[in-house]
Amino acid sequence: MLPSLRRGPGPWLLSSSCSSFFVRRNSTVPPSRFTALASRKSSRYQIYQSLSSDPYVNLSIEHFLLENAPSDSSILFLYINKPCVVIGRNQNPWLETNLRPLQNTHTVQNNEVSNGEGVLYVRRRSGGGAVFHDEGNLNYSVISPRSTFTRNKHAEMVVRALHRLGATNTSVSERHDIMMSTEALNRDSDASAPEPLMRKISGSAFKLTSQRALHHGTCLLDSPNIHNIGYFLRSPARDYVKARGVESVRSPVGNVSSIFTDASMPFSIQGVIASIMEEFAQLYAINPDAILRAQRAHVNEGELYTGDNWVVGTVGESQASEELEIKRGIDELQSMEWKYTQTPQFTFSTFPFEEDPRPRPPLLSSLPPSTRAFLRLKHGAIIESQISLSPNPLEASKQSNRVHEALNGRRLHEISPSQLNGILSRMDHEAEGNAIQSLSTFLASKLL
Amino acid sequence: MAAVARSIRPLASRMLSQRAPIAASCRVSPVAGFPRGSVRCFSQSPLCMIVLPIHGLDGHDVELTQLKKYTDSHEWIELAEGGKTAKIGITEHAANSLGDVVFVELAEEGREVSPGEPVGAVESVKSASDVLSPVTGKVIQGNTVLEDNAKLINQSAEKDAWIAEIEVHKPDELEGLLDEAAYKETVASE
Repeated sequence: MLPSLRRGPGPWLLSSSCSSFFVRRNSTVPPSRFTALASRKSSRYQIYQSLSSDPYVNLSIEHFLLENAPSDSSILFLYINKPCVVIGRNQNPWLETNLRPLQNTHTVQNNEVSNGEGVLYVRRRSGGGAVFHDEGNLNYSVISPRSTFTRNKHAEMVVRALHRLGATNTSVSERHDIMMSTEALNRDSDASAPEPLMRKISGSAFKLTSQRALHHGTCLLDSPNIHNIGYFLRSPARDYVKARGVESVRSPVGNVSSIFTDASMPFSIQGVIASIMEEFAQLYAINPDAILRAQRAHVNEGELYTGDNWVVGTVGESQASEELEIKRGIDELQSMEWKYTQTPQFTFSTFPFEEDPRPRPPLLSSLPPSTRAFLRLKHGAIIESQISLSPNPLEASKQSNRVHEALNGRRLHEISPSQLNGILSRMDHEAEGNAIQSLSTFLASKLL
Repeated sequence: MAAVARSIRPLASRMLSQRAPIAASCRVSPVAGFPRGSVRCFSQSPLCMIVLPIHGLDGHDVELTQLKKYTDSHEWIELAEGGKTAKIGITEHAANSLGDVVFVELAEEGREVSPGEPVGAVESVKSASDVLSPVTGKVIQGNTVLEDNAKLINQSAEKDAWIAEIEVHKPDELEGLLDEAAYKETVASE
């Protein structure tokens, strides 16, 4: 257990939740809050654990630290988000996620779902691929000087923290992820030895600025959704969509807790947090007082502690709502522009064509075999379309033109299934309404 | 494009820099340095103006020097003849250090930028990095070749793989940027 904390000279107890003024004894430093302490020139080492489970809040506190902490500082920020799918900055939500169950984009526009239940859809500011978060996934984030940063440095730090807890089967992969080797159940009696099965437990992404490097990673410790992650990360449109930008690399995933199931050692997420803090402190030779305070901060929620060159403690929604820049960051991440129109150019096509010659799944039996649906989108808006039912090329082209008149320039995330049906109905008054209904239902199930 | 247009505060984010503290101390710090140009120039001598390719009365170019400048955050900017427009990209050193570029975000046409504001962004090996304009100007176009061929940055960072073309509003801002020799020195000291 942790030794009891000393009182007296050294670290100071700061209470940011009950008052906006810090209790800072024997000090002439003017009162200030989290953002002031984080930006303070002497705050070379900072360790925070978030009390918020809102991914928009946590990503925006993190971004604030990247932009505002002193350029020579090293910061560890740990947070756990409520269930959400987080895609990389240059990814396509229609290709990387199962958007429909994530949230109804049309209601999100009216801000109805974003704070409600269900799994959120988030686009982060760093690069990389799509990941799933929930209450069993710990996010670690290290912001450090660009000059001493390497892409593996902090993944290795986390691996050391996991080893310290007994998870010695974890290691950093070539893709800067953390993998866990497990003995595969060998059902093949002919095989001589079970092959180790590598499961990904942690994915990494980075954001680099001129002087700073942000490395944040997920760490699947004890996710109750471990077997459903694929469901959220599998797009129904993946056979039809070809996108510029960054594609995710799929990996089998595992929970770190799985190796502790029959161990005598108890496994707790707070234990992993304490261990990561410990390794971070060792890596950067941080004052032991700071680390003790940091490890205990979650017990006294909403408190910050500070020493000569360090700040540690808990942060959360109150800090986010007090700081305009953090609020702006949250607004940006929640905006439809960031979520959808930031998407790199992509195509959706029910038939193979030059840019995407993959064979396509057969059309629904309710659709005529001559059905064609093609869309090209830039910044999330339709810039080209070709949607028709008729087998007659001339008639098909007329249908397609009529539909395109209504679709051109429309942002995909703003089109509702009923609007789409209305637009497709322009195709032809003579064509069977059934086919039109069937096509709009099909397209809506893939894209809306 | 949306992200570039909106997300990044002018002073805070710049392309990677791996400078050593010694090198940093003898240059204008990014925070103090915007607009980088004038600060450095006026502190030295009013005669350190770079000579732009101005057409003399007789129709001949008066002088052509220093058309290409660098930033300590590893962008280059090259003035076109006439000094009214410029292309901006990232340096070979930056491209090498970033690794395989997989995507380039281009700035939208017509966007007004101040020094330190993004005119594009690059993703490589899961890392997003902003490309910042060294000067004040207006985006004329992004290099659409990069939309389909982001790797060109790794092959021709300082030539074919320019990232943005801008209308330069204040050519004298280039004065405070690094010339090739000074930039090389920066890189060597990293």
